[in-house]
Amino acid sequence: MNQSTIRNFCIIAHIDHGKSTLADRLIELTGAMRREEISEQVLDSMELERERGITIKAKAIRLSYPTSDGKLYQLNLIDTPGHVDFSYEVSRSIAACEGALLVIDATQGIQAQTLANVYLAMEHNLEIIPVVNKIDLPGAETEHVLREIKSVLGYSPASVLLISAKTGQGVPQVLEAIVNRIPPPRGEVSLPLRALIFDSHYDSYKGVIAYLRLVDGHIAKGNQLRLMGQGTKIEVLEVGYFDPEPHPLDQLSAGDVGYIATGLKYVRDCHVGDTVTSAEGGTSQPLLGYRPAKPMVFAGIYPTLTDDYPELREAIDKLSLNDASLSYEAESSPLLGHGFRGGFLGLLHLDIVRQRLEREFGLSVVVTAPGVSFRVTRTDGQKLTITNPAELPPPTEIARLDEPWVTISVITPSRFIGPLMKLIMDGSGIYKVTEYLGQSESAGELGQRVRLEYDIPLRSILTTFYDQLKSRSRGYASMDYEFIGYREAKLVKVDILINGVVVDAFSRIVPPGQARDIGNAVVHQLKKTIPRQLFKVPIQAAVGNHIVARADIPAKRKDVLAKCYGGDITRKRKLLEKQKEGKKKMKHIGNVEVPKEAFMDVLKLNL
Amino acid sequence: MKNQLALYIHFPFCKRKCNYCSFVSYAHREADIPAYVNALNLELAQRATSQRVGSIFCGGGTPSLLSPKQIKDILATIHSRFTVDNAAEATLEANPGTIDESYLRAIRKLGINRLSLGIQSLNDDELRWLGRLHTATEAKEAVYQARQAGFSNLNLDLIYGLPGQTLSSWQHTLSEALRLSPEHLSLYALSLEDDVPMGQAIKQGRMPPLNPDRSADQYELAEDQLEASGYRHYEISNWAREGYQCQHNLTYWHNQPYLGVGVAAHSYIKNHRLANTTDLDRYLAASGNPSQVKDNDEEIKQELQLTETVILGLRLSQGVSIDDIQGRFGIDLGERYRQPIDELVSLGLIEWAGRHLRLTRYGQRLGNEAFWRFLPD
Repeated sequence: MNQSTIRNFCIIAHIDHGKSTLADRLIELTGAMRREEISEQVLDSMELERERGITIKAKAIRLSYPTSDGKLYQLNLIDTPGHVDFSYEVSRSIAACEGALLVIDATQGIQAQTLANVYLAMEHNLEIIPVVNKIDLPGAETEHVLREIKSVLGYSPASVLLISAKTGQGVPQVLEAIVNRIPPPRGEVSLPLRALIFDSHYDSYKGVIAYLRLVDGHIAKGNQLRLMGQGTKIEVLEVGYFDPEPHPLDQLSAGDVGYIATGLKYVRDCHVGDTVTSAEGGTSQPLLGYRPAKPMVFAGIYPTLTDDYPELREAIDKLSLNDASLSYEAESSPLLGHGFRGGFLGLLHLDIVRQRLEREFGLSVVVTAPGVSFRVTRTDGQKLTITNPAELPPPTEIARLDEPWVTISVITPSRFIGPLMKLIMDGSGIYKVTEYLGQSESAGELGQRVRLEYDIPLRSILTTFYDQLKSRSRGYASMDYEFIGYREAKLVKVDILINGVVVDAFSRIVPPGQARDIGNAVVHQLKKTIPRQLFKVPIQAAVGNHIVARADIPAKRKDVLAKCYGGDITRKRKLLEKQKEGKKKMKHIGNVEVPKEAFMDVLKLNL
Repeated sequence: MKNQLALYIHFPFCKRKCNYCSFVSYAHREADIPAYVNALNLELAQRATSQRVGSIFCGGGTPSLLSPKQIKDILATIHSRFTVDNAAEATLEANPGTIDESYLRAIRKLGINRLSLGIQSLNDDELRWLGRLHTATEAKEAVYQARQAGFSNLNLDLIYGLPGQTLSSWQHTLSEALRLSPEHLSLYALSLEDDVPMGQAIKQGRMPPLNPDRSADQYELAEDQLEASGYRHYEISNWAREGYQCQHNLTYWHNQPYLGVGVAAHSYIKNHRLANTTDLDRYLAASGNPSQVKDNDEEIKQELQLTETVILGLRLSQGVSIDDIQGRFGIDLGERYRQPIDELVSLGLIEWAGRHLRLTRYGQRLGNEAFWRFLPD
């Protein structure tokens, strides 16, 4: 196909600003599917995504659009994940396009993540078409949002489309704008093949399916190809496009968006961001700098029932077929048995993996407190990276400790600046920028919208930060973060001891000033949930040899012996059997019996 | 141990339900008592066996709501269908709020030779919380009347570990009970199901929660004082003067057969544990037909018989006899349970006393910790 009638674009939007609804309308209008066939939001294919209103994996759909002058255009809509955890994937999707629809909710205005993604799109020289959605809603502040777009992004109101994806109002104009404003691809069919992998998924029949944007050259079935970053060699088993059903083709050419079936077994062998070229006589110039997914957040994943370890192993193996960003290695804990230490792009990614293990594989899992990776320089000069707090060497052997930092960008009405700044400062945030975005009308009493920028240790935003951000701003604030590097850290490890035995799963690396409070919280929670034993059990929190908190569980002195009435021996026996079952389920720490719930409750503590 | 049958008769009627009670008993159904007596007689007739009856126990509910005439009917049925040992112990549970001296005289004459009075507490405040029908004075009066009526084998049931009950208020109940000089005392630690009014009150914070440490103190206090007053602590919850141990209950603890008739009654016959329906209407409609009355039937295999014999026997202060176990099962107790016994001895919960294995004094408070270890895997 002539590249002049191809338009490749993506949609940038904050969660719930209407990206998927708009995509559905575009699909419907171009006749790729009838309205009743669109099972609500085609692009969000995983059940989980639909429920959470977010898109996790990018997909691409080809739409055929005849303009009023009778020309048939091929519009390739490339979906992008909306969440900050997946910013690398977003950047690859953006790199596959010449244009982007920037969708902003008329009732909410620009949000932090949207801004981050717009800047990404600008970096890649995409033509941006600002679209204000939900103008039909009673709470719409279209005028204000237009002013905000002008002041923050510099687009004049005249260039902004006003639509309601829900009712379809203004959507035909979106299609016209895509054709008229987004430039066509400008690759060379005659040059050696260069194609960008912007997504991939595993198909049990065809192996890994790679989503490609061809820049130069062409691909046909049977071609021998090479992935430049990883050096993987593949044979093309099938080539085609999605609409959203797969349509095999003879070939894809420069400017096209489509897929190839690679026969590869693991998505990690076919990484997003890599450049595909011909095995023989290919290019030596990759399209983009390629980097493998880098896990930022780490947590132990264990089966609730130790016996389920083989099932967990199989489930994680299967999940990783489809999730190149998930890294994991076997780990074992005296307490939790055999499990894995997983590396995740962020907290959302961790949560998604946990939920998929539970839903798709029916497993019950224990997830330990999420943490970051620390770089340790020992006094003997040896360097190591640790992702499990239990592995931190004793303080006397540490010459230097470094932890990952991020820049966070928070957009909030000015009313909440105080509490949010306090939240960020409490997490050791370092102030960088305040930027005023303009006055909101209905939110008038909340003041102007402001963007705050801080540098902060990644550790500080892992557990309760986001919930706190939302609750301290009545839900108005949004945030985005970006990894900026490692910085030296002054931190200590708090260990929890039950009857003198360290429980590795509870160890945390924290600022020295918080050690006592955190120790106290854990110790008292355990005191509540560990049943009394036949002897006194001390529970302690310690930094090195220094005890910072302690609570004792007194010895049990008497059990409940219900009256044996009317000779109901069976009931008594059943109660004892229950007691025995309960004992079997308990974990032994030294000679102390600890119920699973005690661990769960500590892991759930908001510390 | 005589190879005799213990006969239990359940009487599931009360004037009102006490606030702590989750036993099977119906309030405001007194009109059904005649029909119930009828059904009991039918069930007794159909479940009669040739085994000699060594004890009869009328429990409840409130069996003292039965008229002497009704008791006479039931005893007549028993005597016509079973062979009852001449020395058989015949106990009736009585609520002090339901009886007077002439009633007691009448039932004594009918052959009831042991009276078990549900005193529970001798503190009026506590009796009120518990929802009892009687005051402390009335309870003492009942004891006096029982003596007048000729009862020389008297048990008092007491409850300790009440929410908010102090050591001294328990001391008061104990001292007052000892002044009444019963032959036998059963002391039960209060345990509450969630659905009873006191359980609810605690859940909703209207009453302080049960305090197991205070119960332990109260139990130890009772152990010391009863021992000093000449009572033998012969089972975890039971004390008796010499020669007055409850023969009927000993049948349970020796894991010997018993036959229970009536609503919610349990039986242990030919190595089957049977349970009757807890539904009064279903029971009344069944006209005593054992198959319609029965709710549950579990065969107890050899291994479980052994377990139950050990667990029940450990409740007795004399403990379990090696020779008994050898005789009944052909098994060496010490060998068979070497591992749990070693563990429990090292925990200080059980000990050997000659050819008996028994709970230590410490172990008597923590019986469950010992018992579960004898369960089969």
